[in-house]
Amino acid sequence: MTQLTDTEIVTRIRSVLGRTLGDAVDHLAQDADLAQALGERYDSLTAMECITAIEGEFDIEVDFVAHDVRHWFATVARMARFVGDRLEDRALLRSER
Amino acid sequence: MRTEAFPSVAITGTADLWCTYAAIRTLTWLGRLDDAPGRADSADYLRARRNADGGYAWSRGMPSDAWATFYCAASLAALGETLPDSDRTAAWVRGTWSDSSAGAAYAMMPGQAPDVWATHFSTRTAIELCGDDVPDRDRLLAWLAALQTADGGLSWSPEHGDADVRACYYGVAAWRALNTELPWDVPALVAWLRRQQVAGGGFRFGPDAQVPCLWATYRAVGALAMLGAAPAGDCVTWILGRLGDGGFTRWDGYPVADVWAAFSAVGALRDLGGVPHDVADAVVAALAGMACPGGGYTYREPELAADALRVAAGALSSAPDDPGLPRMRRWLEACQLPNEGGLMYMPGRGAEIRCTLWALAAGAFPDDGPSRQAIRDWLARLQNPDGGFGYWHGRGSDLVSTASAVEIARLLDGTVDTGRLAAFVRRCATDDGHGNVPGAPATLRAGLHAARVLGGPTPRVVAELLARHRVRGGGWANQGNRLPDLLSTYEAVATADRFGIPVEGVDAFLARTATPAGASWSPLDPGDSDPLAGCLHRLLRKRFVDPSCELPALTLS
Repeated sequence: MTQLTDTEIVTRIRSVLGRTLGDAVDHLAQDADLAQALGERYDSLTAMECITAIEGEFDIEVDFVAHDVRHWFATVARMARFVGDRLEDRALLRSER
Repeated sequence: MRTEAFPSVAITGTADLWCTYAAIRTLTWLGRLDDAPGRADSADYLRARRNADGGYAWSRGMPSDAWATFYCAASLAALGETLPDSDRTAAWVRGTWSDSSAGAAYAMMPGQAPDVWATHFSTRTAIELCGDDVPDRDRLLAWLAALQTADGGLSWSPEHGDADVRACYYGVAAWRALNTELPWDVPALVAWLRRQQVAGGGFRFGPDAQVPCLWATYRAVGALAMLGAAPAGDCVTWILGRLGDGGFTRWDGYPVADVWAAFSAVGALRDLGGVPHDVADAVVAALAGMACPGGGYTYREPELAADALRVAAGALSSAPDDPGLPRMRRWLEACQLPNEGGLMYMPGRGAEIRCTLWALAAGAFPDDGPSRQAIRDWLARLQNPDGGFGYWHGRGSDLVSTASAVEIARLLDGTVDTGRLAAFVRRCATDDGHGNVPGAPATLRAGLHAARVLGGPTPRVVAELLARHRVRGGGWANQGNRLPDLLSTYEAVATADRFGIPVEGVDAFLARTATPAGASWSPLDPGDSDPLAGCLHRLLRKRFVDPSCELPALTLS
């Protein structure tokens, strides 16, 4: 699989989040804190839905204990970095086989 | 009767749904809703309780129930707000319709047995708030008719058989919403209600109640009014005598003016000729002092509005030599109030089973024989005909409450009817475990509750349940095995210890849920210093430092 660019990752994350959170996500800055910007609309239940959707979109797995999910899933920019790191790890593992 | 003032425990109250409903309803009756502070915030507070299934919950993340759904919908309507997607709310209510040998009625949650609390709430939600109708009027009327006991009053369900003025009010209010012919022997019902008025003018819940109170008085007066009757003797003088400087109080000798006493007094006075202007002004002023800054209301001044769960959490988290511990235990013991032997979540509200468990686990009544016996007696009355327990008297059974009851009996060296308990647990069984109520999906905590109630599954069965919900990185999840949470992890460890099953590998979970303010409920929860989460986290940490430390089998949901 071709490595995704940062822009492509952000675009796909916004699209995934939009399915749960609506078009409010389109106008949010990448470093905007979702819980602060969306209030109760981005509580832990919604965050869980979003994380599951992002896992499915990028075929990655989030470990809710090992990964600091409160930190990594607080903003679009952090989500993109988290996803990019996971994709990079996976590509590295495959190249070493 | 216990009458001492509540000692200071430095816990600030937060908005509560029942208090919010009672305050909004009272102000609406008085035509003084414009005086309510933070109306928009209160509406937001109510809307935030709506679940995707269309029902409403006591707090965000909890399952919908009939009580919360009625209180949210009725309060929103009183505030002039449109009920969001009322068709979906009506559909959720229809999902609680439940058959019974006597007919059919509503249950508090889908799968539970019907009771008169839920039937009152959901009949009114369907008809008065959603513009819907009940699924089968004839069967509901048959069920309501079967509530009447041999002595004329109405009971919690046809199977219960003990009459109470609250059950009378709820049954009659459900009938009124149906706007059809009366299903009871009305002279007998009126006579039974009138017999609950005692010397002095107030009403009691039923023949076994110790003292009259404003809540019982409102329900009796309200039921009589809907039946076109009135109390036999003067009642207004007794009600007005309950008004002090800070508002209405519920019983003689009880010092705290609260939102439910205001609600009950105003509700009764409306049916007895009206509320005098000076009384209305006093009530409005008292309620203004119970409003919470972020919207909604609590039961008294927020800075004094502690509750039994948070005080118990504080006591359980304290070191044995903490100088504040005796004060917290005294506060909890003061939550045992007249008429019901259990402890109340908020003083003046009504005895509740989980709060009673938490308070006993926190060391309330260690050597107080009469108080411990009062709890045993209350527990014996609380067991439902299906063998299980509900949160309070007359409410349908669930495994959270049933596990709480068993643990209370254990702490008090008491007994419960185990054969009937087992029958209810069997009804909650599914193909792959146990649900909290009959027909509910299997979860870890319901399985742990069933195991602790029965006490009989082999450790292998419990170990398999724990293995199914064990999260690879650490901790346990209530559903599946992905997102661990603190309550499930606490109950998993407490139950494993009870069955002698070794547990380890919780360190990473505890580290992830530790926060500067205490603990979060899950790795995703922002962790806003909830003292209950802090308490469970602290007890778990202590348990892993000292494996001989026995975790109390606390339940919440």
